[in-house]
Amino acid sequence: MALLEEPIREVKTLKNYINGEWVESKGEIIDVVNPATMKTISKVPISTREEIDDAVKAAQDAYHDWRRTTPLARTRMLFRLKELLEENFEKASRIQTQEHGKCIDESRGESRRGIENVEVACGIPTLMQGYVSEDVAHGIDEYCIPTPLGVFGIIGPFNFPWMIPLWSIPYAVATGNTVVVKPSSEVPNSQAFLTELAEEAGFPPGVWNMVHGGRTVVNGMLDHPDIQGITFVGSTPVAKDVIYPRCGATGKRVIAQAGAKNFMTIMPDCAVDQTIAGMMTSFFGNAGQRCLAAANAVIVGDDDDFYNEFVARVVAMAKNIKVGYGLDESIQMGPLRDKAKKQNVLNYIDIGLKEGAELVLDGRQFTVQDGYPDDCFVGPTVFSNVDPKSRVGSEEIFGPVMSIMRAKTLDDAIRITNENPFGNGHSIFTQNGAHARYFQYNVVSGNIGINIGITAAMAFFPFGGLKDSFFGVLHTQGKDAIRFFTDTKVVIQRWF
Amino acid sequence: MALNTCSEGISFAREMEEGAAAFYEELAKLFPENAETFLGYATVNNKNVSNVQRTYFGVITDGIEGCFAFNIEPEEFSIDLALPAGVAKADALAKAIAAEETTAGFYALAGEQGKGLTADVARAFTLIARKKGERVEELKALAAAK
Repeated sequence: MALLEEPIREVKTLKNYINGEWVESKGEIIDVVNPATMKTISKVPISTREEIDDAVKAAQDAYHDWRRTTPLARTRMLFRLKELLEENFEKASRIQTQEHGKCIDESRGESRRGIENVEVACGIPTLMQGYVSEDVAHGIDEYCIPTPLGVFGIIGPFNFPWMIPLWSIPYAVATGNTVVVKPSSEVPNSQAFLTELAEEAGFPPGVWNMVHGGRTVVNGMLDHPDIQGITFVGSTPVAKDVIYPRCGATGKRVIAQAGAKNFMTIMPDCAVDQTIAGMMTSFFGNAGQRCLAAANAVIVGDDDDFYNEFVARVVAMAKNIKVGYGLDESIQMGPLRDKAKKQNVLNYIDIGLKEGAELVLDGRQFTVQDGYPDDCFVGPTVFSNVDPKSRVGSEEIFGPVMSIMRAKTLDDAIRITNENPFGNGHSIFTQNGAHARYFQYNVVSGNIGINIGITAAMAFFPFGGLKDSFFGVLHTQGKDAIRFFTDTKVVIQRWF
Repeated sequence: MALNTCSEGISFAREMEEGAAAFYEELAKLFPENAETFLGYATVNNKNVSNVQRTYFGVITDGIEGCFAFNIEPEEFSIDLALPAGVAKADALAKAIAAEETTAGFYALAGEQGKGLTADVARAFTLIARKKGERVEELKALAAAK
């Protein structure tokens, strides 16, 4: 099919957005490369410590007036933003594909998910209401007022450049806080475009700031005394060893969403056609670069015929996945985000072979549609007979690699799943309600899918995560986000 | 090559509906005694496109996504809407009936295949398939009444 038009046609150096102004950075400039075409599409600064300090100061200065702006007035800006997001839906989606590599269907899904968070945050005038108890003692009333806290730092990952910052920003600003957003320097164009739309929506200077960069910007956020809290999505080592402890040390609230190794339990009574379709999208969607992507398929039961036939069908379908540039609507899987991520996946394929897993579909041998350079592409890969305690069976690969293993019973499948250190998005495919309920009750996972392969919570539910997949207490999205971005004042009063 | 993604399915449906709308607008000119009916069909064809697109853009998410929605061979659903000069009404109606039956088949299949992953889009397709079936009966009645 013909390619959809690329929205980014001219290589520009991106600017920071501080205090309502687009500001050139003094930091080093690096290229942003489209991983499907390997063409440079923009340049992004690695901003300095002074620049993040400027942004935090602007956000702190803006906070005084912004928290005094009525919730209705704040949400009117979000309503305007929502309209702009709808008008620019397709452009935003194509930017994601161009800079990240994901397929256009996936980008449109990401755009929609982001907008849904803006929609939910538009309910802030009622969602952040407090509560009152009259006559807690004779003539004494007590009430609770949710209040904003100040400046929040929002640190985005590379795999969902548009949506994930929107898990936090709308709730933060709607509740009266101000934000400094740091997009991933690998995929900064989506947030740059979102910030342009936020500016057009009319947020006052300093309420919504964006600073491009890397470690220096993150450290600047973590150390800054005026930042009240951080939301972060990234790897477990960074979440666990950097973000979480340093937020604790500096007294910041924190939501640190981390890595995963998601298990999909497949019961012999599952609806096979729908299960396999669900597997394709879960294991290979976004080229496996999703913290809710399934990684391990646990097929339950002793029925060798079922197992062999099921695996054969999975492999046959995976083999036919069209791999290429996601701006072609027929493409089903795009590239990894960069060469290093591809190499990481290739390393794991080698590890799997050394560990004795059977490589039933080799993702190193595939064809990129229309001859795009294969620097960042890996084809769908399927291992069978994987030991769940092996590295391939237990570590996060973050690529299009399916590891198939067997369990004798549902209890065995749950035990195998729960022995893994992660607990992000496990799922079961079954037509038996009792099995589903038993799984839901016993599996340790922040998100659970029942006949759903990607267990992504909608915007009005918290995005969970347990064990090594999450560090913090409250989550992004929905009511959890509102509690995270507000503190409570409790007033007890008597009048004479 | 097979249609697999939701985007492809939507694009294919759009091409079919736009072609059908143009076809009925032409029929309205050729057979003015039934112009109201044919123009009404063209309007519905255009509405089908916007309904499906609105549904797609409204519900497409990374949880219910569309990269593996279908496995449909588009060649099986190609339709001939060319109207030769001086075409007789009976022949034109026969062509319309054949085209509607084919497109109904596409929507029914896409609705069935897509329901595992694209719940709302699949439902929109199924509803259109049902309406196409009703239109086939109307066209047959029109052909019989000539």
